Amino acid sequence: MVDEQELVKRLRQGDSNALETAIKLHHAFLVAMAIPLVGADSADDVAQETWLKAFAAISKFEGRAKLRTWLARIAINEAHALRRKRGRELSLDDWGIDSGSPIGSRFNQQGGWNAPPSQWHHDTPEALLTEAELHECIRKHLHQLPGDQQSVLMMRELGGLGFDEIARALSLAEGNIRVLLHRGRQRMHAMLNHFEEVGTC
Amino acid sequence: MLTCREMSELGSEIIDGHLRFSTRLAVLMHQRMCPRCKLYIKQLKLTAEVLQQLPLGDESVDSQAILDRLRTPDR
Ligand SMILES: [Zn+2]
Repeated sequence: MVDEQELVKRLRQGDSNALETAIKLHHAFLVAMAIPLVGADSADDVAQETWLKAFAAISKFEGRAKLRTWLARIAINEAHALRRKRGRELSLDDWGIDSGSPIGSRFNQQGGWNAPPSQWHHDTPEALLTEAELHECIRKHLHQLPGDQQSVLMMRELGGLGFDEIARALSLAEGNIRVLLHRGRQRMHAMLNHFEEVGTC
Repeated sequence: MLTCREMSELGSEIIDGHLRFSTRLAVLMHQRMCPRCKLYIKQLKLTAEVLQQLPLGDESVDSQAILDRLRTPDR
């Protein structure tokens, strides 16, 4: 585990080893978060620009948020800036429409469980995350989520951003953000449930 | 009475603590008599926690290329 306080301290001193560590820790997250916003072709540019801005502004980072959250905020700004430069605002017109419950078919007409969740072998996040294959499976399924659910899950769960700032970033109401988060979690739960039942992705 | 389907729809509101008081009571009552929903909500919370703790680090990132770009301002 990398001690974040120590890492930030070294970043402030301009330590390039620390920067390398931070890049290895967070670059893939920044790219993944930017993909639904700007497309796969430009996501890496957004992440690179984020490092540039972050490194220049590291002295302003107060350490109240997690480093990843702070980087996520910069990346969102960069994604918006890139879209503006290209002459179009984020075209997220069809975002935020509820796609409905992904587990609707697991209930009977009376609303009771037809196919209830099964017992899992792991019952803590740490235990689940010891499964190397599961990491790969989670990444794969995250990228398969609809763009809006993917964005909200990335910003909220992985990035630690607040509902209000996510709502502003995506020009949606907080209520929409909550629904998208729930749908995304439900889909990821179904994925984990399958993994626990079958043992493969 | 909440149905199990309704419970599954409330899942994230439950784990994020966003429920109104009256709904909270109905949820508690349902959970007390329905182990299936209790399990679903517990697993949904676990799912959220797994995502929150997912490292998503990547040792194969070409950090040197990024560092080089940071050092050359002629972009
Ligand atoms: Zn139930």
